[in-house]
Amino acid sequence: MVYLRSLLFLIAGFATGLNAKSSTGDSVLVIVEPKQQDNYSLFLNGLKKQGYDLTFRAPKAEAPVVIEYDDPTFAHVILLASENKVFAKDITPQSLVELLGKKTNLIIALSPKQTPLSSLAAEFSLTLPPPGTPLISYFPKREGPPSVIPVSVPATHSILSENLHPVWFSGVPHSLGNNPLLVPILRAPAESFAAETDGGSPDALVDAAERGGEGLWAGSQLGLVTGFQTLDGSRVTWVGGAAIFSDEYATKEVSKGVPSGNLQFARDVAKWTFQESNVLRIDRTTHNLVNSTKSLEQYTTNDQIVYSAYISKYDSKTSTWAPYSGIKDLQLEFTMLDPHIRTALLPVPGVPGKYSAAFRAPDRHGVFKFLINYKRKGLTSLQSSTTVAVVPPRHDGYPRFLSAAWPYYTGAISTSVAFFLFSAMWLAGDSHEKRAKGHKAE
Amino acid sequence: MPTAYPLPTNLSPATVANTASLIRIVALALISGAAIASRLFAVINFESIIHEFDPWFNYRATRVLASKGFYEFWNWFDPTAWYPLGRVVGGTLYPGLMATSGVIYNLLHAINLPVDIRNICVLLAPGFSALTAWATYMFTKEMKDASAGLLAAAFIGIVPGYISRSVAGSYDNEAIAIFLLMITFYCWIKALKQGSALFGTVAAVFYFYMVAAWGGYAFITNMIPLHALVLILMGRFSSRLYVAYSSWYAIGTLASMQVPFVGFQPVKTSEHMAALGVFGLLQIVAFAQLVRSHVSSHQFQKLLATGVISIGILGAMAFVLLTYKGWIAPWTGRFYSLWDTGYAKKYIPIIASVSEHQPTAWPSFFMDLQFLVFLFPAGVILCFRELRDEHLFVIIYAVVASYFAGVMVRLMLTLTPVVCVASAVALSTLLDTFVDPTEPEVVDDTRSESGASTISAPGTNGAAPSPTTPATTSKKAKKAAAAAAEHPTTLSDILASSSTKTAKPKGIYGLDTRIMVVLNTICMLAFFVSHCTWVTSSAYSSPSVVLASSNPDGSQHIIDDFREAYYWLRQNTPEDAVVMSWWDYGYQIAGMADRPTLVDNNTWNNTHIATVGKAMSSSEEVAYPILRKHDVSYILVIFGGLIGYSGDDINKFLWMVRIAQGVWPDEVQEPSFFTPQGEYKVDDNASPAMRNSLMYKMSYYRFVDLFGGAQAMDRVRQQQVPKVGPTLDYLDEAFTSENWIVRIYEVKKEDSLGRDLKSANAFAQGKKRKRSKPTTRRRAIL
Repeated sequence: MVYLRSLLFLIAGFATGLNAKSSTGDSVLVIVEPKQQDNYSLFLNGLKKQGYDLTFRAPKAEAPVVIEYDDPTFAHVILLASENKVFAKDITPQSLVELLGKKTNLIIALSPKQTPLSSLAAEFSLTLPPPGTPLISYFPKREGPPSVIPVSVPATHSILSENLHPVWFSGVPHSLGNNPLLVPILRAPAESFAAETDGGSPDALVDAAERGGEGLWAGSQLGLVTGFQTLDGSRVTWVGGAAIFSDEYATKEVSKGVPSGNLQFARDVAKWTFQESNVLRIDRTTHNLVNSTKSLEQYTTNDQIVYSAYISKYDSKTSTWAPYSGIKDLQLEFTMLDPHIRTALLPVPGVPGKYSAAFRAPDRHGVFKFLINYKRKGLTSLQSSTTVAVVPPRHDGYPRFLSAAWPYYTGAISTSVAFFLFSAMWLAGDSHEKRAKGHKAE
Repeated sequence: MPTAYPLPTNLSPATVANTASLIRIVALALISGAAIASRLFAVINFESIIHEFDPWFNYRATRVLASKGFYEFWNWFDPTAWYPLGRVVGGTLYPGLMATSGVIYNLLHAINLPVDIRNICVLLAPGFSALTAWATYMFTKEMKDASAGLLAAAFIGIVPGYISRSVAGSYDNEAIAIFLLMITFYCWIKALKQGSALFGTVAAVFYFYMVAAWGGYAFITNMIPLHALVLILMGRFSSRLYVAYSSWYAIGTLASMQVPFVGFQPVKTSEHMAALGVFGLLQIVAFAQLVRSHVSSHQFQKLLATGVISIGILGAMAFVLLTYKGWIAPWTGRFYSLWDTGYAKKYIPIIASVSEHQPTAWPSFFMDLQFLVFLFPAGVILCFRELRDEHLFVIIYAVVASYFAGVMVRLMLTLTPVVCVASAVALSTLLDTFVDPTEPEVVDDTRSESGASTISAPGTNGAAPSPTTPATTSKKAKKAAAAAAEHPTTLSDILASSSTKTAKPKGIYGLDTRIMVVLNTICMLAFFVSHCTWVTSSAYSSPSVVLASSNPDGSQHIIDDFREAYYWLRQNTPEDAVVMSWWDYGYQIAGMADRPTLVDNNTWNNTHIATVGKAMSSSEEVAYPILRKHDVSYILVIFGGLIGYSGDDINKFLWMVRIAQGVWPDEVQEPSFFTPQGEYKVDDNASPAMRNSLMYKMSYYRFVDLFGGAQAMDRVRQQQVPKVGPTLDYLDEAFTSENWIVRIYEVKKEDSLGRDLKSANAFAQGKKRKRSKPTTRRRAIL
């Protein structure tokens, strides 16, 4: 019995181990020249082992197409064919952007050669040096060409594992534009720069630098691996050179006895890109009056409103969404054209995943929105908008018998009483008057 | 006493009276029938549909009232109007019209007549026009007699000036307001004549109804005090006036303050101060009368002088102080624009932009009133001949309403009733004179002067021919002459005195003269009827939601683009998709498409309208943030260039520019939309601001493609559109109706890569990105 149960656990564990870890799907298309396919076996097999369903396609092969009948065929695409100038009809910069709009995630490798992909990079605010100018660095002193560079990885990074060993990199750097959607993952070493390697003239580089107004491609401001999260939530990672994923670099030692961090780095990048890590979502939002649970369609001005959001984080180990209370800087806005109220949406202690804020509705009627707009680099952006109307009080909703109004009440009552007395006296004195009048007439 | 034609002599006065009243009833019934029937052209030519713009809101509000009840209606907050400001509908409308329909609806349902609320709304205006005819009859009867009343009823029943606002489907406040106007005036006259507090109260009740129904109630609020003031100034103060005015004012004002939209305005705004002032004045005058009856005249003189002066000064000072302190609101812009027709255009373009606020063109007087235009002054002059209190009312009304009708097209509506009344008085006097069978006695020249006034007698009442015997007629005539102004004096006086200076007996001789004049009159009346029918059927019965044109073979062709587009919106867009359009179409979008709108015909927020104007008149890049901020999903424009529909947005465009300029004078400038020659053009010469404006782009987007290479022609402006049409980067064409009248554009979402949409669009079309030189962003590296 015990044996059977443990077997079941084993099967279950095996099954989860095989399950895809991505929150958006497990089908991956790898576009790579068949000859080079084996160069990336460690990385790709790792993905396969994780449970991804890999399909390979040569850059010029017609099938399988990436978008069929307006639907993306794969959940993720890895473009390792970085040196190809010609791709099949359905792989164009435009179709790749379209893929992003359809929630597909991309890993795109660049190379020093001028390809359609290098012009696509400009759309993501990445500026590449002119063709034929890879990143080179003469430090630290080492064997091998200067274009193969060990790059140390930031110790703490929201995307990468902690304390990674340096990774080998060879390829092209890019300077980052000021697009807030960019997520820098790996920066170039401070001593490195882009330069022509095989005896070309430096004029092209100087010209390009002048045209771009950015100066030379040099220094640690350059990016080597850069993520990009679109407004729709799909993720792209631009990699300066496909070699960073290669078996050769994965097994190459950085220094004596220190293995390179390439494989783990590649895994982390894939994890982030394929929506395994740093994935959040708002499960639901509720709003109601204080001391009530019913959600109203409209509130009255100056009502006390409670707004709550339930946020989960994706756990790739179990492939489940778990309530997540780790966000400390979440804000809620109550907006009509401009935010009328902006308040911290704090996690509720004791209720995992629940964030709540109570506030008084503004003294202004109109159509308001509860807005959550949480955008942090690397994290899924959280956006929620709930429209409610804030209305003035009902005709019987105003306070009655105000003490301040007593002068008016007194006025009304005294006038009524006076009128009553006057009428009574008039009627009572009527006959007398008539008689008097009659006397006069006579 | 000779008569021009034989009269039956064997009829008893009772029979005559009975027959006359029967004929009156039948005539009134027929007039009501004609009034209703002539307003049904719209339903027969088109269908049972709500017309134009404002009625769509009234209809929508009525549906809420009918389905949710009065209290919900009262507290109705409409989150879909004026997005995102919302509109407190219950407190910002005149609920009279909706309440009326709601009551009728509930009544009919209570007796198990399941009538659709739409049909009630469509047919409310014709129904009330019948009541208006009756109220006008009663009013005119007070002025002259029942025959004039019947004529007035017939006139008001079919006169185009009133039909224009009350055809079936024209479900607007004016539909019931004119009836309320006339019935209030009738009750006021009645109260004044009899000194009756009852009629004063009835007038106040109808006044309350009027206040609840139409913003034009201010006309009554000022007409009645003006009348009272004139009466006081003419020394015609009487206890009747005091009772009538006081009961009307006190009850009417208190009642009117119960309407949420009016609230405390009757004691706070300048427009209502005249009524309050006259009320105060009446109290003073009444008090003075009381004092005079108790003190000697010498003392009274002194008292009066000091009292009047001090009270006058005090009152004026109080008024100025209150206005200065802001407790009394100063006159509104709409009020100023009544005196200075250029005022609105200068300071409040939003008011001037409404076509019905434009000064009236002369032809439209004839179009709306036809031969009543000529009769109207005659009727007013006839009122002067007798000048009782109620005639004064008509005279004042005529003068005031004529002025206002000249200033604003829509105020033609308030002029029409008095034109009908005065014309009826004139025409019935004419008929009385010429149908009256009494022949003037041939007398000597020496005695003619005295004889003439005795003989020229009118008919005894409207039921012609006069059945009374010549003896009674002349007796009555004598009585009339003696009583001086019991009966109106006749045209024959004027005719006689003007035609011959020599003293001849005045009157009409022979049958031929009579027949000629009467036939002439009948011809004019017949022409009037045919004119009214023609104008009603051809000009005033178009729902403007559905347009009609004629095919080459003469058959009718219905252009139904508006509903096509609105139903497209209704069925293809999310329920909370905000639609931006110029404010004219706000009510229709809300009513037919059921979508939130930014601005609508309730033009209460000038800034919000100017925002839309700015978005329409700026370039895409400038407009886009505005659109996003207001959550706009769709933009709707009206374009008539293809089929020649002249009421389109390009023709209204300058008003959008002007209104936007009023709020953002630095960003939108009207002159930049004209060519250097100062012309308003859409062709190759159009100014850059014009060609880059969102409105221009949306109107002419892909318009050139329609002509397949041939020169594209805008048929409204008769100009050739540039060969290369405008392009759109921030909008997508979502829908264009059959005749291109309505075009709907979808506002694109922000680019998901964070680019501006222009470059995103260029990229999607495969254009090479131009490398622009970015500013250096080099920072010190830590």
